[in-house]
Amino acid sequence: MPKRVPSEVEPVNLGFQIAPMIDVVFVIMLFFMVMAGAVKVEHELKQQLPGIAPVNPANAPEMPDEITVAIEESGSVTLNEEELDPANDSAMRNFVGTMMRLKQEADNRKAKVLVTIQAEEQAKYERVIDVLNALAKAQVSNVTFTVGGEE
Amino acid sequence: MGGGGGSSESGEPEFQIAPMIDVLLTLLIFFMSITTAEVVRVDKAIELPVAPDAKKKDEKNSMNEAMLNIRWDNAKQKATIVYADRPFPDPQPLVNILTDLKNRNPKYRVIIRGDKRLPAVEIQKIMTIIGQAGIDDISFSALNHS
Repeated sequence: MPKRVPSEVEPVNLGFQIAPMIDVVFVIMLFFMVMAGAVKVEHELKQQLPGIAPVNPANAPEMPDEITVAIEESGSVTLNEEELDPANDSAMRNFVGTMMRLKQEADNRKAKVLVTIQAEEQAKYERVIDVLNALAKAQVSNVTFTVGGEE
Repeated sequence: MGGGGGSSESGEPEFQIAPMIDVLLTLLIFFMSITTAEVVRVDKAIELPVAPDAKKKDEKNSMNEAMLNIRWDNAKQKATIVYADRPFPDPQPLVNILTDLKNRNPKYRVIIRGDKRLPAVEIQKIMTIIGQAGIDDISFSALNHS
């Protein structure tokens, strides 16, 4: 076999190259910027279970405005037996608007709004959260939760 | 001003690479930290519902709270409660555990991480158990977007 003659190699500058580093940093930064917008964060809907706190008769609160919200298995939500939004609408704009008006009225009278969510046994939890989310948007905090229709 | 950088001998301003790298790396670290810190650490078997208007979870109180993960088996149509990585097919023993925790810490609260496909009756059962343990402060966990 013929012997290979080593070709003359030009000396290569192996010093630190700033331009490719900036390219890479830019790409990584763009990735994290995009990811920052899409990241899923855990939120919470706070609730107080009724009937545990001792009631002081001297400071007994006034009777609140009671509103019943029923959630059916089909996903339809009714406010005092009136359906405001379609069953597949998770934003529930009409419901939120109505709840905001009721809350405003109650605030003007310095009364409290008490919402009772009455879900059917097989109603989806996702729909219950939609309702709780709508109530949080309307700043209604007194919510009770029952499952099963009135016998 | 002399020697401050940013201009050549002719007085023309020129592009400085060093401060740009400083800014770039600062931005990179910022985006890296917010992306990794916000990643949700939930049970992979649970599909959380979405509630964009709910409040962001306060991580400071994590010592005073119990996470109840409720899985839903669609094939068997059965819910399973998981607490501290331990499944509870029969939820009654949870009452004693939660009562004990509540007695030790009066501020103790429970966060319900339920699968969005769960029927409402299963959530009612969990709430009954939490009520039996004497805990009145509960929260429902949800994601900010789908």
